[in-house]
Amino acid sequence: MSRISGINLIGQMSSSVTDSVVSVMPKTTISGKNTLKAIDWIGDKFSSPENRLILGVTALMTQPFIDARNKKVDEETRKVSVARTVAKIIAGTLTGYFVRAGCIKMIDAMTQLPSKVDPKTFGGRMRMLFTPEDAKTGVLQDLKMYKNALGTTISLFVMLFTNFLIDAPLTKYLTNLFTDKYVHKQKTDKGGTVNE
Amino acid sequence: MSSSTSVFEAIKNYMAKNYGKSHGKMLIHTGVIGWILSAAAQVGAIVTNDKISHKQKMYLIPQELADAAVNIVSFYLITQSFKSVVTKAVNCGKILNKPVREFLETNNVKNVGKKTFDVLRDGKLPKDLVDKFESFRNGVDFTGTTLGSILSCNIVTPIIRNEIATNKQKKHIAKMEEYNISVVDPAKNCYLPRPSIQSFQANAYKSSSSLKI
Repeated sequence: MSRISGINLIGQMSSSVTDSVVSVMPKTTISGKNTLKAIDWIGDKFSSPENRLILGVTALMTQPFIDARNKKVDEETRKVSVARTVAKIIAGTLTGYFVRAGCIKMIDAMTQLPSKVDPKTFGGRMRMLFTPEDAKTGVLQDLKMYKNALGTTISLFVMLFTNFLIDAPLTKYLTNLFTDKYVHKQKTDKGGTVNE
Repeated sequence: MSSSTSVFEAIKNYMAKNYGKSHGKMLIHTGVIGWILSAAAQVGAIVTNDKISHKQKMYLIPQELADAAVNIVSFYLITQSFKSVVTKAVNCGKILNKPVREFLETNNVKNVGKKTFDVLRDGKLPKDLVDKFESFRNGVDFTGTTLGSILSCNIVTPIIRNEIATNKQKKHIAKMEEYNISVVDPAKNCYLPRPSIQSFQANAYKSSSSLKI
């Protein structure tokens, strides 16, 4: 009971903070034709795979540099950390993007409206496997967001496996590749020994 | 069969109802679960990587765990805040696209921009403008959520997680050094008493021959 009221309290606080911020914001009208086109295009075309891709690209532009500037750890740990961060971003972004995009595509193919397929055939029924009741009755007509959301959710279940089967091994492989090339090689060039 | 079908239907309807019109909400929820799974896999990869030394693992494992934990907290604090502010600003009419703003002004719609105002509910927009508004809102929603994610995941989280990992590594190293010292410290762990000058002399005389110098 107290936990529920605690959650409600946090929700109310968050809502009042949002209201306060919005109330001091000036009224803004987006009028530029190209800006509006770009915003509409983003809203129409972009979903979780693109979000993952954007986060991955910007992560490569920030995270390795933040790791490299952490002078509180020794130089070799810092370099291994940079190598692992880059490896993790590459592996995570590639897997995350393709798994999400693939799942959304699969859901798209299997979420057709009754007007577009023949529900009497097996193929038609399969193509309506993920179509919600609201869409079948005509209440919900735009299924784009629903497909994106369901595709992303299913990709989560897929990633339950790919995190362990692809992401982590690929990160490990790339980390070792980068550390062999940039950390251990530099160390042996300087006359040190490779850390086994 | 019928119960599994109804569960399946319930899931589909839940998805359509909750995420059918919102990109941002779905991105937040899926992001959080993704980090937990990813962190579990990555920690496993670090633990089993023989090419990473023990000392580096003492930094990388807390770094990975802190990455997931801080990501979840900062995502809720920063990304959710970004999304809430942007969504509210668009819904109440603070941020609008030109066609919708012109329509509301031409029709003298009152209270636009007030926190209780809702463009779709109170604006009485024609169908084509509803579509334009929803498309605009999705774009702003996506942009706001993505900007919030970049700030929280790619800037705030790495700084905090490195700080946490550094402290953890220092603590582990200090513990290890303390352990190593205690293992080799003769004052603490020597089973034979430290020889004193008296005991040394006594032993020397005891074991010496009759030859005296």
